[in-house]
Amino acid sequence: MSEVGMEYSLKGILRELLSYKSGIASIVILALLIGLSVYTVVTIPPQKAIAMWRGENNMWIENPRNAAPEWMAFFVHKNLPKTFKVASWEKSFGIVKAEAPLPGTSIKKIHIEMSFNYPYDDFPSEVNIFFRAKFNASKNTPLVKIYWIKPDGTRIPVTEMTMRDPNQILYVSVDQQIYNNLVMWLQKEKGITPYKTVTTQQILFGKITPAMAQGKVDVEKGAYKLVVDATTYNKGDDVDLKLVVYGTVYGIAGTDHLRRPLIIALLWGTPVAIAFGLTASLAISIIQLFIATISGWYAGIIDSIIQRITEIYMIIPFLPFLIMMAAFYKLDIWTILAVVIVLSIFGAGIKSTRALVMQIKEYPYVEAAKAYGASDARIITFYIIPKILPPLVPGLIGSVPGFVFLEAALSLLGLGDPYLPTWGKIINDAYNNGALYKGYYYWILEPSFMLIVTALAFAMLGFALDKIVNPRLREM
Amino acid sequence: MSFKGFVRYTARRGIVLFLVVVVAIYITIIVANMGGKIDEFVKGDLYLQIAQQVKRDPQYKNLPGSEQEKIIKAKYEQEIKRLGLDKPFFQRSLIYLKDAITLNLGRALYMTSDSGSKLVRNIILERLPATVLLFTTAMVINFFIHLFLGLYLSRNYGSLFDKIVIALAPTSTIPGWFYGIFLILIFASWLHVLPYGGLVDVPPPTDPVAYALSVLKHMILPLASWIISGFFLGIYGTRTFFLIFSTEDYVEAARAKGLPGRLIERRYILRPSLPPIITNFALGLIGSWSGAIITETVFNWPGLGLVTWTAIQNFDTPVIVGVTVIYAYLLAVTVFLLDIVYGLVDPRIKLQ
Amino acid sequence: MAMLEVENLRLYYATRKGVVKAVDRVSFTLEKGETLAIVGESGCGKSSMAKAIARLLPRNVHTYDGVIRLDGKNIMEMSDEEYRREVRWRQISMVFQGAQNALNPVLKVGFQIAEPLMIHEGVPKEEALARARKALRMVGVHESFADRYPFELSGGMRQRAVIAMALITNPKLVILDEPTSALDVITQANIMNLLKKIKREYQLSFIFITHDIALSSELADRVAVMYAGQIVEFTDADEFYTNPKHPYSEKLMASVPTLRSEKKLEFIPGAPPSLLTPPPGCRFHPRCDKAMPKCREEEPPEVEVKERHYVKCWLYA
Repeated sequence: MSEVGMEYSLKGILRELLSYKSGIASIVILALLIGLSVYTVVTIPPQKAIAMWRGENNMWIENPRNAAPEWMAFFVHKNLPKTFKVASWEKSFGIVKAEAPLPGTSIKKIHIEMSFNYPYDDFPSEVNIFFRAKFNASKNTPLVKIYWIKPDGTRIPVTEMTMRDPNQILYVSVDQQIYNNLVMWLQKEKGITPYKTVTTQQILFGKITPAMAQGKVDVEKGAYKLVVDATTYNKGDDVDLKLVVYGTVYGIAGTDHLRRPLIIALLWGTPVAIAFGLTASLAISIIQLFIATISGWYAGIIDSIIQRITEIYMIIPFLPFLIMMAAFYKLDIWTILAVVIVLSIFGAGIKSTRALVMQIKEYPYVEAAKAYGASDARIITFYIIPKILPPLVPGLIGSVPGFVFLEAALSLLGLGDPYLPTWGKIINDAYNNGALYKGYYYWILEPSFMLIVTALAFAMLGFALDKIVNPRLREM
Repeated sequence: MSFKGFVRYTARRGIVLFLVVVVAIYITIIVANMGGKIDEFVKGDLYLQIAQQVKRDPQYKNLPGSEQEKIIKAKYEQEIKRLGLDKPFFQRSLIYLKDAITLNLGRALYMTSDSGSKLVRNIILERLPATVLLFTTAMVINFFIHLFLGLYLSRNYGSLFDKIVIALAPTSTIPGWFYGIFLILIFASWLHVLPYGGLVDVPPPTDPVAYALSVLKHMILPLASWIISGFFLGIYGTRTFFLIFSTEDYVEAARAKGLPGRLIERRYILRPSLPPIITNFALGLIGSWSGAIITETVFNWPGLGLVTWTAIQNFDTPVIVGVTVIYAYLLAVTVFLLDIVYGLVDPRIKLQ
Repeated sequence: MAMLEVENLRLYYATRKGVVKAVDRVSFTLEKGETLAIVGESGCGKSSMAKAIARLLPRNVHTYDGVIRLDGKNIMEMSDEEYRREVRWRQISMVFQGAQNALNPVLKVGFQIAEPLMIHEGVPKEEALARARKALRMVGVHESFADRYPFELSGGMRQRAVIAMALITNPKLVILDEPTSALDVITQANIMNLLKKIKREYQLSFIFITHDIALSSELADRVAVMYAGQIVEFTDADEFYTNPKHPYSEKLMASVPTLRSEKKLEFIPGAPPSLLTPPPGCRFHPRCDKAMPKCREEEPPEVEVKERHYVKCWLYA
């Protein structure tokens, strides 16, 4: 009853595919994904991507940590803070730097005022000051006094320190000394002892009210000023600094625990996932095609051997074996791909193709070809393969999601390519850093979204093709 | 149904499968030892054992360290020769093979079983029941859901439910553990109604009924994740399957004979289609063992998969190899059991 | 009153391309003990007719109406459940084309033959199996095969088993749809002999559907010729084989070789018409060499040219 091998034309298949809604949708999505992949690989070449993901040269230091994507603001109806920076060397309206050398000495007094506006509804996630000074660390190092001026004019002394390193970083929001200074100031000047949960950022950017004692602080929006009075002791010394007020949102995708913009991994995951999935699928399908054809055509001992090998393959546990290999030998993604392919070639798909080949072998026109002296190779290439190829295609496409998730799974277990930014890697990072407990849902949702979209697109295409190509299903 | 024929069939399948397992394990050993990993831990373990022995032996206990070292080394070399571990790789591999087949899997480097044993075999076998519990339950539930709903759909094909199932079939390409992450997100992280993972509440209830209920509560999310994953495609598959089988000529003949609808369904559609259904079930079961690793990691379920995960984290080589061996056995047992069921159900097999 | 009276039976299918009029207002009668052969080309609707009479409808039925009277009772009016209990196999049974597939591969042959007895007559299993074994004997298959599975029997044996199955409840009417077309010539001859024997001994009414005219002549008392979903000629067998009246029937007989006379064999030009959009007027007119202008416009009526000899052709109206 089976109708082996209808004639298929590429155009005909395409036309029928477009008549299904799922066909159109999947083609559109896949075109988008492939376009995205190409764009990504062109704009961020692999070496650059790996370097960026390693965070070479502290390149992400001025990004907020675990920042949500900017569009989150839409959902919470709040103006969520974005990161902004003011540097003393900029020539701009709110930035003033005056130098006053003390005559007769090599001492110089530097006065820096940096004004900025804080219009957000929420507190910043972090505040850091990056110094860019010039001095010799073995001689007298500059003395720096930092003051904070709130919109209502209140002047708070932040800290007084002697610099150690020209490129010193002052982690204002976590510095214990600064915190103590601020609390003491609050107690002395305002008679308020803030509850222990109140953070440095809250004190700096919050309305100073007695409610602070219960831990309740509202944001004080307005014009702030950072004032720095520095004294340098040697000729040629100078002090410059950059204030970075870190937001809670960043970019289109947010950042992770290492301040890396997630968009990089999301973009780069696309070509990796598609390449991995498609290559695995294609390679396995083609190799299985050949094995099945040889098994079915030559039959006899070759067939028996291949059948036994298939049985052995069935017993070798695929994932544990793969995991064992990935765990013992540090594998990069292409080697993983190769291992996956080798572990799958004698899989179950061979059985059905082989059955088909054996069926076609008995057909009269094949016998006729043999009679006129066609070689085995010729018969296989021109008679058998065209008939067994179409039923393979839906399966090929439909198994791509499986491989995409396999790669994600390996990355989730920490066994994937250690340098490549992939979707699975993001989920792995998220899981290891407690994203679910801390409520950083976007960290998991974004790569998951990409995985789901990719998987569904390929799956829908595979199902649509199956409906077109599989004669039995056509009748339904 | 000849009993003798059946026994012969079973025995034959058993032997073939055992041979296949041997080959599979051998391949595992070769691959695992490509970087000398097995050599490493076998020899390391041996050294440790001998060292411990010597240190406890009253003869040597009070000797200075360097003396002990020499004795340990001498005994170690002796043992190596005796066990044949200094022979070329081929012979060594056969020794490892024998060990692996008899489940003499050595001792773990870092991990310990709950009962305190360092034997890899114990570590693994202790955790096996949890995996079997979770995944067999999932497979069985899925089997019956797909069977009944698929049967129902094949009778009402073309209906709205049918169209929905077909449209949503692609959602089954997403593996269960992935849905698992979302389920945890929703039900544990956001709604706080179900636990994040694990087998039972901590501390575990002492009353056996409460204990069982607690385990059940913890099984809900992992089971749900696999039920959701396989739902639409599974139903679609069995529905298409039953549709194809219900267009067989003998079904029409049964209708013509005036047999009642339910009887036809049972005897003329279900019974003949059992062999392929069982094959599908078999493949699914085999696949689910592999998927166990990630699911258990996501849900912190203390089974074989979690053991694998912990072993990876700790680079506990002997456990990793041991796990692979156990999985091979598991697969073989599964195939064997299903072959038996197949033989019982398909008369064509019984009689050949 | 004839045993079987069919009036204006219609069976249309709804397909993606339109409505297929497989059986389009067919009427005929059959007396008790008579065998009716329904002959025609592939695709003329013969099998659909069998299904229409036995109420074996597919899912995509568009129209199914008409009158079928069995011993005076209109079975078309019965509900499906009533039909199943009263008519199926008890009054009308069927022998299917390609009997290899009419038997359930996982049930024993004897059981399947005994099944109708157990379901319809409530016969206990042991007795039913005994009767099944007897039925097998009657059709020339050894009793021991009752305990075998269908795949253990040859094609011819399976066909015999299916015939035994059709007879076991002593129905009034047995419909045989191309019962021998899947078999080799020798087995075919054996089956035909068996059918002849059964016909002689049991006085059953058969409807024998076939495209093989020569074959039909072995059993038929009456012959109906189907073309494009309609019966175009309906008469006694002898009359038909010697003196067909409808141009199509003439052509059919002219294409069958005869053993002992010199005959110039003819063929019918053209292809069988589509049942989706049959030709207007007389459906045979595009291929008929006696076609008149009227044939293109109006459908010819059924004319009784002789006693119990009906022809649907303008030549006789």
